[in-house]
Amino acid sequence: MKKIRQNKNTGELARLVFFFSLFVLVAASLISLRRIAAPLAVSYVFFLILGPFIPRLIKMGLSKSTSLIIIYLGFLFFLAYPIVKFIPVITAESQNFTRYIPKIEAFVKDKYEDIRFEVKKRTNYELKESYAVEAIDTTREALTSFLIYIPKFLTSLLEWVFLIPLFVFFLLKDGDALKHMILQLTPNSIFERFYYLTHQFNKQLGGYIFAKFIEATIVGVIITIGLYLLDVRFFLLFGLIAGITNIIPYVGPLLGSAPGIILVMAEYGMGTTTGGVLLLYLIANAIDIALVFPILVSKIVDLHPIIVVVSVILGSQYFGLVGMIISIPVAAAFKLIINEIYNEIYSARFR
Amino acid sequence: MSYENDIDKSIKNSSELPEKLDIGLLKYFWQSSPITGRSGNNVPKFLREIDVLKNFTDNELRVLSKSMHKRNFSDSEFIFKQKETGIGLYFVYQGLVDVIVEGQQSARREGDKIEEDNIIITLDKYDYFGELALLQKTSIRNATAVARDKTVLLGIFKPDVEHLIESHPVIATKLIQSISVIIANRLFTVTQELKKLKHKIVKLEIECEKNKAE
Repeated sequence: MKKIRQNKNTGELARLVFFFSLFVLVAASLISLRRIAAPLAVSYVFFLILGPFIPRLIKMGLSKSTSLIIIYLGFLFFLAYPIVKFIPVITAESQNFTRYIPKIEAFVKDKYEDIRFEVKKRTNYELKESYAVEAIDTTREALTSFLIYIPKFLTSLLEWVFLIPLFVFFLLKDGDALKHMILQLTPNSIFERFYYLTHQFNKQLGGYIFAKFIEATIVGVIITIGLYLLDVRFFLLFGLIAGITNIIPYVGPLLGSAPGIILVMAEYGMGTTTGGVLLLYLIANAIDIALVFPILVSKIVDLHPIIVVVSVILGSQYFGLVGMIISIPVAAAFKLIINEIYNEIYSARFR
Repeated sequence: MSYENDIDKSIKNSSELPEKLDIGLLKYFWQSSPITGRSGNNVPKFLREIDVLKNFTDNELRVLSKSMHKRNFSDSEFIFKQKETGIGLYFVYQGLVDVIVEGQQSARREGDKIEEDNIIITLDKYDYFGELALLQKTSIRNATAVARDKTVLLGIFKPDVEHLIESHPVIATKLIQSISVIIANRLFTVTQELKKLKHKIVKLEIECEKNKAE
């Protein structure tokens, strides 16, 4: 036994050091090079959504390259079709929407005046007028800064339009080879554990992203169709907003329903349409919370609600909107690693 | 083949070698040619020689070999340790592997010092080990495996089997069938052993009672 331990050679140590320094180096360079890291992350998300379709096509008797080409063309079509078809409509809608802003401002001020009056009458406490003005000012500032940010966003979007399909293609094509290469570099002493953990994490992440994608689509479609039936203006824009914000857990649905509800209240007053819209958002979120979330999402990522809320808050504090979206997968990864360490340290006693 | 066997025999018997073309040498030059030599993916050929994978076709072995991992171990390096959780099955591609059970008490020498390490078996080329880990949900390794030479192993692990089930269900089924055969054989021998032991116990009990009666 002693001989074996002595012989546990320096080669293994060197491999461990090399492997981890490579790991840290790649991570550090990705964090510092955001221009590459962001499209790469988005491509990885697409890769996780599209990857599972390849084995299904191979199972049907197609070769790997044929199934890759079919999936890739499908991906390009689904990426290009909405860009060509919906972007002009949505741009027009958002431009129209900016014209509504003064109307909404007036409405909010008006409502605030009413509330102030009510509060004064009932509690004899006078709310300052500046509250509403300040709120409107900050919103307007945020909006203008967002509008200024758009050209910058568009240039990076142009870059992304080229980069993402490229990255996705090569991830789909060479993902397996890359995996094999990384595993070849993995030192023997941690190989099995590393392989299993990364596999488990990728499976969870892929499942989570796929489930979220479906969930956002369902909510977006429900809202769009509902608003269309209620004959509300900008139904496409609000459906899109509801779908995208739905990706953020807990806070998202609120953020997504706010613009629609405020506009409807400003446009139609407290009538049946507003009631209908409120009911629609309630129903959409109820379907989401009661049916879609428990069936799709929570089975894949088994996290306590408190942990979900805390990680979303922490994510938003350090990385903003992106942080809110990635907080859940990151928390799931931490849970996996901590579970593994727990099994290693604590359950060893019972063996 | 037969020619080589003849040569081998005559070398062993140290009898005279026939004065013919040295095919071994020719073969060496043929294989070291730049065209044929470099493509050397010998894994499917290696797998062909394994008895439990007999029901695979050549093409299926080629696909299977793609989802296997070649792992290199230096002399006396641990492959896995007892009580670790394992996720896969290994084939010995090259070299030797010692299977060791740590801290096993040998019943015969009860009063004596406990024998700490027992080398149960030394595995050679074409042998396999760790097949339980592929099937159990959380599998704890029953023994330690140590490379006893510069060793190359071919490993197949749970994630690979999952991928195979998704993309090549027939191959995955055959693989699982093969593993089932391994395990069934092992269970059979264990049952036989158990029967023998039971028989021995019964005998001993009878002898004990006889002694008491006397």
